[in-house]
Parts: sequence; C-alpha cells; structure tokens
Amino acid sequence: MTLRLVRREKASTRMAVLAPLLALLAAMVLNLLLFLAMGKDPAAVFHAMLLEPFSSWAGFSEVLLKMGPLLLIAQGLAIGFRAKVFNIGAEGQFILGAIFASAIPVYFPQATGAWIWPAMLVLGALGGALWAVVPAFWRVRLNANEILVTLMMSLIAIQVLNYLLLGPWKDPMGFNFPQSVMFQYDAMIPILLPGTRVNVSLLIALFSALLAWAYMQRSFGGYQFLVGGLAPKAATYAGFSEARAIWLSLLIGGFAAGLAGAAEVAGPIGQLQRSISTGYGYAAIIVAYLGGLHPVGIVASSLFMAALYIGGDNAMVSADLPVAAVRVFQGTLLVCYLAAVTFVRFRLDFGASVEGGRV
Amino acid sequence: MNMIARRTFLQTSALAAVAAAIGARGASAQEPLGIALVLPSPLGDVGWSHTLAAGLDPVKAAYGDAVKITLLENIAEGPDADRIMNKAVADGNKVLIAGSFGYQNGAMQIAKRDPSVTVLHASGFMVAPNFSPFAAKYFQGTYLLGMAAAALSKTGKLGSVSAFAIPELITSVNAFTLGAQAVNPDVEVSVVWVNTWFDPAKEQEAAKALIAQGCDVIFSNAQDTPSVIAACEEAGVYAFNLNSSMKSYAPTRYLGCVATDWSPFFKASVDAHLAGNFVGANAFLGVADQVVEVVDWSPDIPADIMARITETEAKIADGSFTPFTGPITKADDSEGVAAGASMGDAEIVAMDWHVKGVVTPLPQ
Repeated sequence: MTLRLVRREKASTRMAVLAPLLALLAAMVLNLLLFLAMGKDPAAVFHAMLLEPFSSWAGFSEVLLKMGPLLLIAQGLAIGFRAKVFNIGAEGQFILGAIFASAIPVYFPQATGAWIWPAMLVLGALGGALWAVVPAFWRVRLNANEILVTLMMSLIAIQVLNYLLLGPWKDPMGFNFPQSVMFQYDAMIPILLPGTRVNVSLLIALFSALLAWAYMQRSFGGYQFLVGGLAPKAATYAGFSEARAIWLSLLIGGFAAGLAGAAEVAGPIGQLQRSISTGYGYAAIIVAYLGGLHPVGIVASSLFMAALYIGGDNAMVSADLPVAAVRVFQGTLLVCYLAAVTFVRFRLDFGASVEGGRV
Repeated sequence: MNMIARRTFLQTSALAAVAAAIGARGASAQEPLGIALVLPSPLGDVGWSHTLAAGLDPVKAAYGDAVKITLLENIAEGPDADRIMNKAVADGNKVLIAGSFGYQNGAMQIAKRDPSVTVLHASGFMVAPNFSPFAAKYFQGTYLLGMAAAALSKTGKLGSVSAFAIPELITSVNAFTLGAQAVNPDVEVSVVWVNTWFDPAKEQEAAKALIAQGCDVIFSNAQDTPSVIAACEEAGVYAFNLNSSMKSYAPTRYLGCVATDWSPFFKASVDAHLAGNFVGANAFLGVADQVVEVVDWSPDIPADIMARITETEAKIADGSFTPFTGPITKADDSEGVAAGASMGDAEIVAMDWHVKGVVTPLPQ
C-alpha cells in the first residue's frame, strides 16, 4: 500500500473558504500547548498576534508599511515564476535599488526640490533591473542557471553595500559606523496617511498589482509567458521567444525589487545602512506562491504575511513571548495553511500503487 | 558573570530597602514601571545581549513588582526596531533601553516626542534631556589583558577579531596593544574586522586566519558568540573577550574576560526616573564605576606580570593612570599623544586611528 496525493477532480468551494480558517485553528491549538508549557498567557499572545495588527489604526498602518515592499517585490517575481524563470535574488536587487536611490542624497545632501524622491525611485528601480541583467545575460547566452546566479548576485550585493558604507559613502560625522548620512527632507517619500509611517510607495505597490494583473491576465505578452512556463516546447513552436521571456522576467523582477529597495531607504529608514532589508527579497518568494502567483492573490498574501510579521513583533512586546516562540508560531501557521490548501486541491489515496503511475 | 551578578545583587539589595521605599512611594498606587530592553542579537548564555539583560536583574530584585521588564531580543536595526520601540512605549513602558548603536535615530525620535520616557542608548553620541548614551571603558580592561597577552605570547604576534571599526572598538584594540607593549615593546597586533556582531562562522574563520599567521593570543572584540574562543582553545592559543565570561568554551586557554556589569548604571537611571530627576548625559563608565572589571584571569600568567597587572588595575581604578597617556605614536608614525599628556573622554570616544604596533591598517 502506498500513500499518494491525488488531484481532486473538483475542489470544493466550501472547503476552499474554510481551509484558511481551519489552518488558523490548527496552528492555534498546536501553539496553545506550547504557550501553556512556557507559562505564557495564550489569550494575551493570540490577542497580540492576531487581533492587535488590525485593532488599532496605528497597528494597521504598520501592517500596510510592511506590506508595501512585499507586495511590490512579489508582483515582480510572480511574473517570472509563471514563466518558470526563478529569480531568487530579489534581495540583492532590492539592495542595489536602495544603493542607487541613495546616490542622490549621498552626493547631493543639500539639494532641495520635489524632484528628488521620484528621481530616487526611478534610479532605484533601474539599479535593481541592472543587477538582474547579469543573470539574464548569463542564462540566455551561457545557459547558466538563473537560480544560482541570482542567489549569488545577492551575496555580492551585500558586499557592495558593505564596501560603500565602510568606505566612500560613510557618514563623515557618523563615528566610523557603517551608515550613510541621514537623507534630507526632500529625499523622503511623502507620508500618505498622516500620523503614520505609511508613504506614497504603498500606492505605487498597489498600482503595480493593477499593472501585473493587466499584463498577465489581459495581454498577449502575458499569455506568451504563461505558455512558455506551462509548455515550453509549444511556446517555441508558436514562435514565442524563450530568451525574451527570460530577459523580461528578470528585468521586471529586478525593477520591482529595486523600486522597493529605493522606497525603503527613502521611506521608513531615511538613510543607507547595513540592515536595510530584513529578508524582504526572500519573504516575497513565499508571498508570491501563497498568492498563487496571481496578482490579486498576492495582494491578499502580502497583507497576510505583513500582519503575521507585525503580530509577531506585538507578541514579543505585549505578551512577553521570546522571539523563538514567535517564529515557531509563524512557521506553524504557514505550514498549516499550506497543508490545508494542498488538501483542498488534492486528496490522500491509500490504494495500491498503479504500475508506472506517477504522482 | 554569575559571580558579578551575585556581587552586585548583594550590593544593591543592601540599598534595596531605601530604594524600594522611594520606589514604592512613586509606584505603589500606580501601574508598575515598564522597562523595555531592545537587543540586537538573540538572548544567549553569553555576550552583549546577555550582559545587558543581566544588568536589569538587580533592578528587578530591588523593585520587585514595582517594575515590569520586557526583553525584546534579536531586533534588526532599522524600521523594525523603530516600530517595536514605538510599540513598547505605546504599551506604557517608560524606560526604554536601546541596546545597539543602530537604534539611535528611532530611539531619539521617541525621546523627543515623549518627554515622560527615559531612553538609555548603547554606544551612541546623541544626548537629550531624557536620553543618555552609555558605553563601557573596555579599554581599561583590554590594556590589562594586553599585558598578560604579551607575557604569554611566544611569537610576539597578537591578533584581534573585531566587529566594526568604530571608535569604541578601535580604542579597545589600541589599549590592548599599548598594554602589550608595556611588557614587550616589540609586539605586533593584527586585526580582522568582520563587520558583524554575530556571525559564528565568519568569526571562527577570522580567528583561524590569525592563528595561521602566527598570532598566539587572540582578542575577541565585541563578538557576541563564543566561536573565536572555542576556535582558539582547539588551536591551543590563548584568547579573551568582552562582556561576559566564556571560560567554559576554553577551559585551558582562557586568558580572562573584560566583564561589564550594567546594573549600577541601570539602577541609578531607574532610580532617577522614578524620582523625577533624570538628566540625560553621556555615561562613559569604567572600572571606577564598577561597570568594567576583568574576571577569570588565567592561572598561566606569570606571577610577576600578574603583580604588575594588579598594580596597574588599582591605578586605573583610582584615576592615577589611564592607558592613553603619552607619548603615544600613531600607526602612521605621527604623534598621537604628546609625552606627559593624556587623552580625555571626548578624544577617546572619537578615536579613529591606530597606535603604532597595530599592523593592520584601519578600513577606509
């Protein structure tokens, strides 16, 4: 007897709706035991993690702030993922975006004018795209695996950042600490919601979702991508260029990640420093797949992930939960969700294995 | 570290009756005073974060239920730290201890916005009426360990695995070198700047590289993991570190520890906050403040050198000697400190040059 996952002929709509709730319930039950064993008040933890991100305007604005870069990067990556071009290096493209954007306030710290922050965003997006040119070129011309190259380019990006911060771009008044000058007022993206840290870049991220939707679901170019990803040979026979798909996938991914990096330094950070990214580039990969690689799904999944992060922070502050327990809760929630979603689409088959059958 | 905690516990509990009386008047009818400590690395058994957290134990012991301490570990510098500090203050914490240089801007914004909050910030340079930067005079201890290192080194080559080339760490390396030169004028010190507080693999690699170059005493400068110490034990070379003792990781080759005990400073700050007379000021604390103390001296140090070390330690404690007393020559052969002169705190906290004897140039 073998255990297999068999795709359901028709996924139940009722279960599709219930699955996330059941996943949440399962994660809560599992962690309830953990919290009790640790002597923490589970009610306080669940309140901090699951309700506080939404219960106050200040809390929710932080969710939106965290959602912005995740949404932007994930939209860019999802386009490539659907064409089966795996850009794992959004983290590096994000960092290059931040570096390119910072060039303006670093070299022109006294400059004023409303043009500065938009110029930084454009420069950042170009920087991210430029960083993606290398893996694209190598993949198309040298057939080098883009997963490895993009990933390794991220490591190089970190070193470039370190070099700049320890050397030429170091704040001369910063006591030798590896960070740039604080950006001037005009180099900061205007605040969108007064009294919060949410800035105009959230609108850009939402607009990118709209663009991604129009491109992937409604345009011939997007259709070519899908075919290329699902049936590469068919795409070749139809005359769709694989090289074009690779170039576009990586450039779009790099552009979006670079834009997000620029928005981060010109937004909540306000200077170039070592820890500009806390793993947005990698988290966005999860966000893209959680959202089913669909532009609308990604809006939801980026909100979900952002709330999960903020909730985790809240649990540390308000419910006195150690960081490791927070990560365990976030992890179980994700695993339960993925399991639930899998069982909506598949069922377990206990039957004898079919000769030559493949899962 | 346990020993220090116990010692200060005894000291502070003697004061506890008085302090509790003051504290109780301020807090009995109200909510407990919320103290939030934000830490850059995981709250391990050793190292920087551990020492900061341990510094609050005597505060808890003195005030009991009148204070509520929240430890926030492994918080990345940047927007996340800003949010978490804001949240901690919004939750009613009135004393915020920002445990890393990189929290400076966010913590300062909070201090400016809410004068009722007292902020203590590690290793920074900004000051406000309710915002005190604090730092330890590690250099007082590393000077003493430099003396021990020179006495035990056979090759005359010493090494340091250091985190960031900021003044605080540069002064530690410089004082280490000066102390070593006091025993053996020909010693050379090599430094590897790893640019991280917490990266076990990288630190261990750096230590091995220094050992391969012939360094036989290694100074683990502001590394929050015991990996350098463990690597040295394995290679059979002496090692020491800052903040909390890592002797258990190097039972035979542990040279000593420049231990820090933040509790006198934390306690005084909390007392002042409760009494309503906290005044932000630069807290640069050393042996005389009972914040810095060298513990776990290696038994291998020759008795005559140990006697000199003890004598020097006493002079540092009573203020009659400072490691940065001229003549000191810079690594580029220019004059650092003139004969007879000595550097003041303001110069020390901004030190951005190496003394002669440090053979690795500073990263530019």
